[in-house]
Amino acid sequence: MNNLLRSAWVIGRRDFIATVFSRTFILFLLAPLVIFGFSMAAGLSAGKAGREASRPTVAVIADGATVQALADARARLVAGTSERTIPALRPVEPTGQVEAQARRLLADEEAPLSAVVTGTIARPVVIAPEAADADLGNRLRLLIEEARRSAALEAAGIRTPPAAPQRVVTESAAGDLRSLRSGLAQASQMLIFMITLMLATLLLSNLVEEKSNKVIEVLAAAVPLDAIFLGKLIAMLFISVVGLATWAGMLGIAYLFVQTLQSWLVVPPFAPAVGWPAFVLLLILYYTTNYMLLGALFLGIGGQASNIREIQTLSMPITFLQLGVLLLAMNTVGSPATTLAWTAYIVPFSSPLSMVALAAEQPTLWPHFAALAWQALWVVLIIRLSAALFRRTVLKSGSRQDFWKMLTARG
Amino acid sequence: MANGLAIEAKGLFKSFDGKEAVRGIDLQVPEGSIYGILGPNGAGKTTTLRMLLGIIEPDAGRRTLLGHADPIQAAGIVGYLPEERGLYPAMHCRDAIAFMGALRGFPLDAGRRRAEILLRDNGLADYVAKPIKSLSKGMSQTVQLLGTIVHRPKLIVLDEPFSGLDAMNQGRLEHLIREEAAAGATVIFSTHVIAHAERLCERIAIIAGGRVRFEGSVAEARDRLRPQVRLRTRAADGSWRSSLPAAAAQQDGVWHFELPKAGIEPLLKALIDGGAGIEELSIERPGLHDAFVAIAGEEAARELAESEQADMGAAA
Repeated sequence: MNNLLRSAWVIGRRDFIATVFSRTFILFLLAPLVIFGFSMAAGLSAGKAGREASRPTVAVIADGATVQALADARARLVAGTSERTIPALRPVEPTGQVEAQARRLLADEEAPLSAVVTGTIARPVVIAPEAADADLGNRLRLLIEEARRSAALEAAGIRTPPAAPQRVVTESAAGDLRSLRSGLAQASQMLIFMITLMLATLLLSNLVEEKSNKVIEVLAAAVPLDAIFLGKLIAMLFISVVGLATWAGMLGIAYLFVQTLQSWLVVPPFAPAVGWPAFVLLLILYYTTNYMLLGALFLGIGGQASNIREIQTLSMPITFLQLGVLLLAMNTVGSPATTLAWTAYIVPFSSPLSMVALAAEQPTLWPHFAALAWQALWVVLIIRLSAALFRRTVLKSGSRQDFWKMLTARG
Repeated sequence: MANGLAIEAKGLFKSFDGKEAVRGIDLQVPEGSIYGILGPNGAGKTTTLRMLLGIIEPDAGRRTLLGHADPIQAAGIVGYLPEERGLYPAMHCRDAIAFMGALRGFPLDAGRRRAEILLRDNGLADYVAKPIKSLSKGMSQTVQLLGTIVHRPKLIVLDEPFSGLDAMNQGRLEHLIREEAAAGATVIFSTHVIAHAERLCERIAIIAGGRVRFEGSVAEARDRLRPQVRLRTRAADGSWRSSLPAAAAQQDGVWHFELPKAGIEPLLKALIDGGAGIEELSIERPGLHDAFVAIAGEEAARELAESEQADMGAAA
């Protein structure tokens, strides 16, 4: 054991220094900034275009009073909800035959309209394709009913003043807490997922270096293969920690900067179910186990590939695997006791992601000890399996047969 | 190591994809000796060494490395230069040597200090803090060799150490092997060049076709053959002809035959009495090459010669 750890340390130390003190590592550190910048830019432009395209507009061909009544009703509904809930209205002057005009309007690609409302509040007519009945139709009905109700109340002389309830302020509401906690659960999952995703290719291609420059023979003769795998994994873990610390530092500076500019930007006061200290510790631990589990798997799979081209071919299915794991784990947020959730806790690869969500939402601590032990067991198992497979298929260099050729030969 | 053996292997078998590479190899390498494994390319030398070192597991048989049944247990006192050399190209020479030592449990700082001394002693003082990629092939091979011995191993395993080296570096390597052996280390190396085995080794194993054809001292290998007699006479024929061994063959007027068991004197007397007129008579001890032909067969000898030519072609 001692020998294993000492050897792993020598291997890991070399990998760490070779990676962190290389020029390309700066690019790695900058990668999230670039990704963040691009997604912000894409989000901004797509968001603007998307909002305008996704909000339906309805033409109103009616007399002035009807148009006004509908506009007032819409204003009231929108004030209580949001601009996007009720379709936008566009008054159009009637010109001759209404139905023909409506058909022309709906066909006009420049106008882009989803429906035409005509008639009066008492006898409304909706001219639109059949598809409009489901969602848009409901909202139009809501709008017309609101207009009718308010007309009826006005006619009856009943005034309804805006509600101003008396306020009693409490500490926090369980309902809010739940949504904040599930938000935290999802954010933690995404954080762990994104970083592991970034490291996946690095892990996959890790052993190709030793194989292409033949150092693997020197390593394999001197130290147990398990130590090579373990050392490489730990080196990558610490490399990711250097990255994380750098990114966290950058984020911290950005946050402080924004804070000074806009003092209103405050994080709502709440704590995850297990409390902040335990949660942060668990987040770090689950990040580590998640990384080690997937890392050991990727290292093992990558070890079987003999060149970068094979690695590139592999990285696509690997990304899908990671996405699948994330989806499985995301299912546990908010519903921690279903069969699917239990599957996510038990399947080793989704266990860390789903357990970190559990820590945000449920206060019990003991499941985490069990989960961490379970995950650690799998890390050891996968390392041993990867090393054994590597020994069998790669180190018998005399035969020049690798795993993939073996697979295709049998297939 | 009560038996005084650095390496003991019994009945090692290894096949790759159903093709037998090593078919029952027995080896006994005495402690403190220089031991050569001689054989053509593809004879199973590298596979044997890799099994001895525990890089691959034999399909059958067992081996003991410095008294350890599990070779990796002895890693700290073993140095290994693989046939396919490999170093991290971006590493500095000093660090590369210290890293190889550290893999074997030698402290990193001590390894760096010793690396500097070794580099200086081997004419690479200018390259202490230069990356491996700035070195020539021969130089980086020297660096790897230094990394193989930096932790003062008791057993040094070198797979084809001479291939790819020019004459000067080959001489240097021979010197280094002798030095390490003089300091008490056991050195085992594989080669397909008879001259290296003959010059350096106290004991050799001749491997061909995955089997050990001979194991013993170079002298023993030569003693497998009787000394060869060359004889040229003035008279083409005479009563003396009957005293020549039956297997004697004449080639360009010269008789070749093995020294008879009774020695040369009876024959000499018959030649003089018969008036053969001795023009040339020599008794030669067979070289390792002849011994190799006799032991491993013509075909293996031809493969060996081809390996040597291929190597020279690659070095040129």
